[in-house]
Amino acid sequence: MPSETSTREQAVTMLDIQDLSVVIHRPGRQVAALSNVSFSVAPGEVVGLVGESGGGKSMVARAIVGMLPSGSHATGRVGFDGADVLRMDAADLAAHRGRGAAICFQNPRGALSPTRTVGRQLIDRLVTHQEMTGERARETAKELFESVGIRNPARRLEAYPHELSGGMAQRVMISLATGCAPGLLIADEPTTGLDVTLTREILRQFRHAADTDGRGVLLISHDLASIAEVCDRVVVLYAGTVVETGPAAKVLREPAHPYTRALLRSVPDVGGGRVVATAGGMPLMTAAPHDCPFAPRCAHAGDDCRSTRPETTALEPGWSLACFHPQQAPLAEATSGEPTKADTRIGDVVLKIEDAHVVYRSRFGSGGHHALRGVSLELKTGETLGVVGESGCGKSTLAKLIMGLVEPSEGSVEVAGKSVKKQSRAERTRAQMVFQDPIGSLSPRRTVGDSIAEPLRAAKVSTAERAKKTEAALARMELDGSILTRLPHELSGGQAQRIGIARALVGQPDLIVFDEPTSALDVTVQAQILDVIADVAADAGHGSVFISHDLATVRGFADRVVVLYLGRVVEEGPVDEVFDRPKHPYTRALLGSAPRLGETRTAAVQLVKDLDEADAATGCALAARCPFVTDTCRSQEQTLQSYGESRAACWRVPELPALIEKS
Amino acid sequence: MAAIEMTPVVSVNRDGRFAKALIYIGGGILVVAALAALLAPLLTKWGPTEIDPSGTLAAPGGEHLLGTDGNGMDVWSRVLHAARLDLGIAVLAVALAVVVGTILGLLAGYLGGWVDDVLMRIVDIFQAFPTFILALAVSALLGGGFVNLVITIAAVNAPAYARLVRAEVRTLREMQYIDAAKTSGASTIGIMWRHLLPNSLTPVRVIAPLNCGWAMLTLAGLSFLGLGVTVPTAEWGSMISLGTSDVVAGRWWTSVPPGLALLVCVLGFSLLGEGLQERADARRR
Repeated sequence: MPSETSTREQAVTMLDIQDLSVVIHRPGRQVAALSNVSFSVAPGEVVGLVGESGGGKSMVARAIVGMLPSGSHATGRVGFDGADVLRMDAADLAAHRGRGAAICFQNPRGALSPTRTVGRQLIDRLVTHQEMTGERARETAKELFESVGIRNPARRLEAYPHELSGGMAQRVMISLATGCAPGLLIADEPTTGLDVTLTREILRQFRHAADTDGRGVLLISHDLASIAEVCDRVVVLYAGTVVETGPAAKVLREPAHPYTRALLRSVPDVGGGRVVATAGGMPLMTAAPHDCPFAPRCAHAGDDCRSTRPETTALEPGWSLACFHPQQAPLAEATSGEPTKADTRIGDVVLKIEDAHVVYRSRFGSGGHHALRGVSLELKTGETLGVVGESGCGKSTLAKLIMGLVEPSEGSVEVAGKSVKKQSRAERTRAQMVFQDPIGSLSPRRTVGDSIAEPLRAAKVSTAERAKKTEAALARMELDGSILTRLPHELSGGQAQRIGIARALVGQPDLIVFDEPTSALDVTVQAQILDVIADVAADAGHGSVFISHDLATVRGFADRVVVLYLGRVVEEGPVDEVFDRPKHPYTRALLGSAPRLGETRTAAVQLVKDLDEADAATGCALAARCPFVTDTCRSQEQTLQSYGESRAACWRVPELPALIEKS
Repeated sequence: MAAIEMTPVVSVNRDGRFAKALIYIGGGILVVAALAALLAPLLTKWGPTEIDPSGTLAAPGGEHLLGTDGNGMDVWSRVLHAARLDLGIAVLAVALAVVVGTILGLLAGYLGGWVDDVLMRIVDIFQAFPTFILALAVSALLGGGFVNLVITIAAVNAPAYARLVRAEVRTLREMQYIDAAKTSGASTIGIMWRHLLPNSLTPVRVIAPLNCGWAMLTLAGLSFLGLGVTVPTAEWGSMISLGTSDVVAGRWWTSVPPGLALLVCVLGFSLLGEGLQERADARRR
């Protein structure tokens, strides 16, 4: 297999994977997890490995540390500093892992031992692998914590994993991985499940490791847009094959492979670009492909794509792809342009929340968690309200409050003119919800048909009528009737979420709440579901609430946006106003952290701490994290005030542009 | 290019063949035992309580396949007929325990609050005693007889099911599909019956067969001590009890055959339960 790396690069290459194929044999089936994968990582370089789940990303990571699953059959070469990982014996592998290549796992809390302090875990590792004495290891551990941005490292060393937030745990994980001074740092989906503000911060840590210590970094992610900023080069995987490799800037702005283009177009953009969905899903390979695996989903596929597998050819030095029909037009054009929002008739008020507070009481002792602190909202039919904020800001509580799953400790919630507390069973179905976990929101032992018809059952609809309405909802989701008898575990994530939407639609409700409906889905599937939701939300018959931590998806089809922070509304207004002319520092920070394809960021507000470190006692909720905080902010509770078309809870809004300019 | 193989390190159990073998062997034993119990009148010449006037304590062979006991009753016939009682009581008692326990567990787990507190304290009381001692006390209270024995054995087993199902329900009720059912307007009973019940029964399915074997031993134990079934009704425990004195005299046939029958049936239930457990584990992986 010819290598596209030049001789100059070869000399400094640390990781050099050549023609790696992995086939996993299991009783009754076999999976070609990787087919002829070749790429390299040099010291000081950050390489992004992207693609959807099932593409083989994690298998590459496992091959690099010699941890392939049982029953795998690997061919090719995983070169690391001149040695081949696939041929190492147990002793060499032990030395290679940790010191040669170290992994940061996707779920940092799961990868940390729960009964030992994180400091202990880090120090033990330093003592064993670096042969340090206890005292020195402790000092080094503190330095490592500091270097990944953990404030007050001495105290954090004594923390147990459950005491850390997701972002903090991921930082600990990075310090564990860098602790043994590895040549190569592998991060497997390091930011999945983290907020935009944290994602940016964590990714910066990896860039830092490459720049200051000269480590090679392999960043594995399904989200090309968010990691692109810190990567030098990206490798795009599809169905176990490398489809495109090239400099990050080029691949992002003018990707040549149709799959890379599909991947990028599937990602909603905060700028308001429209998502272009690509139909279908990734095939599961049983053997190395003999055609282009993307051909069935590709708009440019010809007969050649279906009969022969395209060779990897260089487009430019350092930029190569496996495609017979490389595309050239810059991607930006295809995604720009204002989204066309259908002019819907705005009707009656369907949702009215007045000064709602929700307190989760702790079961033992006093106190509790004040999840919502005085939220007021109003929504009319035909309208779509977007709700954004970091995790822990009360988004999900708001959804539960609207659905009557939690009761307000103060204030009131009315759906379709009736207080949620006093609803009958049939009235309860007037508001429907689409859940975050598509498969988990379907009863595992109930058929799909049963699940969809559940709201109708409560509304006492006859069996014949139920079947008819279920069919209609299914047809709207472009699903076949044969799916009705299946059980949830037989569905793909995309199918399951369509079923979830069908269930929400079937009773023609007045209000639909979408609670992070696409965050558990793969990128191209996410685009398909967003298309469906945009269509559903545009209906004039009901109002929609769309909750997401992903600002870009909200911009796609919300009319108005509410920004939540620690249970309070900090900004509210028409979607374009809030996104293009944000008022509140928090909104500015959120928008500044959201990834934008191929754009350099404008001066944004940088929050000074993570959410979990900021506890609001009195005054403005953001005071602890706001870079523009004054004594007035700390002492005075901020309420929503009108600034132009939107409202924000910050008294310094008029001064902010000047303040940002200065910083 | 040389190929590198990662050989499986775990045993062959993973693919479920082992589980299948256990289920077939255990199930097979139980099917044979059940058939023997049902067809007992056809397989024997003598009735279970019929006394052969020509001889007591006759050695196996000839007129009596397994000989006769001290009362002159045919041991082979008694062993087969006893299977009806032993298997019947064990299975019915466990079935009753599962039904009662599951209902209590569902109520306690889903409703929580004072319902949970009250039900679980009652369960605590039952579980505070060693089970066999509890069985002795209940059966002393209720007396012998088929129905009373079923109730006795069910009563000592139900609390365990209540606990099992309650624990399961407490995790299930936090699932999104329960929220989904609530927002779809499902009633509390509907949620329990349509969503929680089918999803919480997996561990019960595994434990119940194992429990049947244990129930048989309890029954035999009670009868052995004279609290369960009384002579002349054919029951393995009481047969063993009667035959113990004969063993000393070298007449093994009055107590060994019912003992073996008991052993084989309990083994059947154990293998079946193990197999189901193994299969559930294999699925979880």
